[in-house]
Amino acid sequence: MATDLGSLYRELKGLFGSPHADLKKMGVVLGKLKIGLVTSGLLVPQGDVNFQDLAVARDILEIGAFWSIRTRDVPSFDRYFSQLQTFYNDYSSFLPPSPREYPLRGLNLIRLLTQNRIADFHTTLESLPLPADSLASNPFISHPINLERWLMEGSYSKVWNARLEAPAEEYKFFVDSLMGTIRNEIASCLEAAYDSLPTKDFTTLIFFETEREAVAYAQHRKWEVDLINKKISFAKKGEEKLEIPKEKLIAANLAYARELEQIV
Amino acid sequence: MADVEMKQTKETTDTREEDELKDESKKAPPSPTSEIKSNIALIERAVSTLEPRFTLRVLRSLNTLRKKLDDQVLQDAIEDVYPSDSPIKNDLLTWLPPTLGGDHSMDIDVASASKPSTSEPVPEAGVYLRLLLIHHLTSSPATQKKAIELSLDTIEEIQTLNRRSMDPIAAKVWYAVERAYELGAELADARPLFLAAQRTASLRHDDETQASLINRLLRSYLHYNLYDQADKLVSKTTFPTSAGNPQYARYHYFLGRIKAVQLNYSAAHTNLQQAIRRAPPATLAPGFYQAVHKLSVVVELLMGDIPDRSLFRHPVLEKALGGYFEIVKAVRAGSLSQFQSALSKHASQFETDKTYTLIVRLRQNVIKTGIRRLSLSYSRISLRDICVKLHLDTEEDAEYIVGKAIRDGVIEGRIVHEKGWLECAGQKSGYGPEVSDVFSRRIAYCLELHNQSVKAMRYPLNAHRKELAAAEGAREREKELAKEIQEGGDLDDDEPGLGDGF
Repeated sequence: MATDLGSLYRELKGLFGSPHADLKKMGVVLGKLKIGLVTSGLLVPQGDVNFQDLAVARDILEIGAFWSIRTRDVPSFDRYFSQLQTFYNDYSSFLPPSPREYPLRGLNLIRLLTQNRIADFHTTLESLPLPADSLASNPFISHPINLERWLMEGSYSKVWNARLEAPAEEYKFFVDSLMGTIRNEIASCLEAAYDSLPTKDFTTLIFFETEREAVAYAQHRKWEVDLINKKISFAKKGEEKLEIPKEKLIAANLAYARELEQIV
Repeated sequence: MADVEMKQTKETTDTREEDELKDESKKAPPSPTSEIKSNIALIERAVSTLEPRFTLRVLRSLNTLRKKLDDQVLQDAIEDVYPSDSPIKNDLLTWLPPTLGGDHSMDIDVASASKPSTSEPVPEAGVYLRLLLIHHLTSSPATQKKAIELSLDTIEEIQTLNRRSMDPIAAKVWYAVERAYELGAELADARPLFLAAQRTASLRHDDETQASLINRLLRSYLHYNLYDQADKLVSKTTFPTSAGNPQYARYHYFLGRIKAVQLNYSAAHTNLQQAIRRAPPATLAPGFYQAVHKLSVVVELLMGDIPDRSLFRHPVLEKALGGYFEIVKAVRAGSLSQFQSALSKHASQFETDKTYTLIVRLRQNVIKTGIRRLSLSYSRISLRDICVKLHLDTEEDAEYIVGKAIRDGVIEGRIVHEKGWLECAGQKSGYGPEVSDVFSRRIAYCLELHNQSVKAMRYPLNAHRKELAAAEGAREREKELAKEIQEGGDLDDDEPGLGDGF
């Protein structure tokens, strides 16, 4: 590997390790490093390659993935993570295991969760190289798994409480968007399950700090807010009118008649 | 033909029993060597008459024949089929241990009185012998390396020959290749090979090989939990419609697996139903039957249905589905604690069946069933009671969970937050547009079934001649009748008085 690549790599490592990393500078270094990786054919490794170089390449990409999270650039994280897939899946038997592999895999799972891509979430989960019953013992993986389970069964307060128990610093970056997802979920449940709610209870149910925020949210969803009685009423969806779908029935009956004609 | 393979791909242990039965029932079987020879004659006939039927018949007996193979049998067969100085013969014989060389001449005299043939058989026969050789080599661990070598060699040979009459045998060879690689624990290494061959096969419209290869690939992906790749493969390829039922059954099973992981349960259920329908009878391929049913039970539960009780009494399934039965009972009762204990008790079984993660997803269904039962039995119930009855952690949780259940349409009702209870509404009436929708879907299914069966009907060649003759006779009679009527009519016409004016 070229020497300047080595020095850049050391610089990046130093930057990543320091507590108040200069994100902008890291971005610049990462950009240079990626060009270096491409020219030395390590970004998408093919054929015979030096495994030590590969481990370094993996390191760089991992740092890049973390960097994207810190800069809140989810699409960039997505790119870094898909580049890392090769290292995690195809070269797993040649390279020493990376300590950052599972945190990153966990982050990827949370990302899928916040984007509400549940099907992808499960596919990714299945393809983890871990036996299924040991998933729960890996803190980085069990966190998204629990989140998903609670979301699915509706234990939203557990999700809310778990937001601060993230196994790694970077997990918290997803908390905000996750909370947004949850609020929308809760709101749609409340709509269906309640006639009206006192504003105070509504605020706690939907995890807002102040009533003002809650009221603003309620108005945003076009619910009736009664400020005097401090009550929020949910617009009743009018009783669905029972209408006979005439055209559909006629079409269906004609189709049956035609088919029967063919049979008899 | 391929029911046979299914046993091999799935749990081989289950099949041993009835294999013995099968062997016993066959009285005075022909010696394996002569069987191979008659098979080769059939293959030659297939090639000369361009009738793949004969080849298929040969391949159907592959599994029973495979059990009887040993070095001696194969050697005799090869010696007999090829002329003595054939280079192919010598080539084939190098794959067998040479120790038997001394006494084989005597064996030939015993096994068959016929002299070695003088003409070179068709290449298909050579590949068939190679197929038998691969199966024989994979059967013992010592020769597995050799099996892989031979299979690679065979593939090359098939591809250079490029004969359409070879296709059915080639499809089988691919299966043998997979088997060889799997036993050598290098299933992943065979994947590039399969992918390349799949491309070639689809270019040559070699449907049988293509079907076989798609299944090989899917199996290999799913073995390594690469659901993403498997899904992409499915979306990028079209499964040949002319493929045999066993291949279809497998394909549907794999599809069902992928769809289930992707939470597309209703599609998964349809695929698994298809797989069950197309699968060979349960007693013939119990391994496959069990595997499909395991998955289908879980998918059915995830869809919110409860599988039939009778399924768990099926002689083939009863033991295999034991763990699943407990899960079903827990889901039915809506008891979370029962579910958890069943899950932890059978965790290792579910893990080997690769259904563990699917079953874990059932947790929410258990809760939903519980809530549903409560809402049906109470007109008003406090959230605290729900919490206690369903073993939920806090009342707060219960409120959210019930709210979600209402939104998802699991139950009908309202939560009264101030009083802290749930008011359950009565059951919805059973009539409405949905009912007619369901009804018309069923009718459409029945009609489709009828049309499919009409299409699937086959008529033997020339059998309609007889009917034609009969029809001819009938027409003759009809003509006579018409004539008589006409004559009769003439009589009528003669009657005066009923003219136009009347």
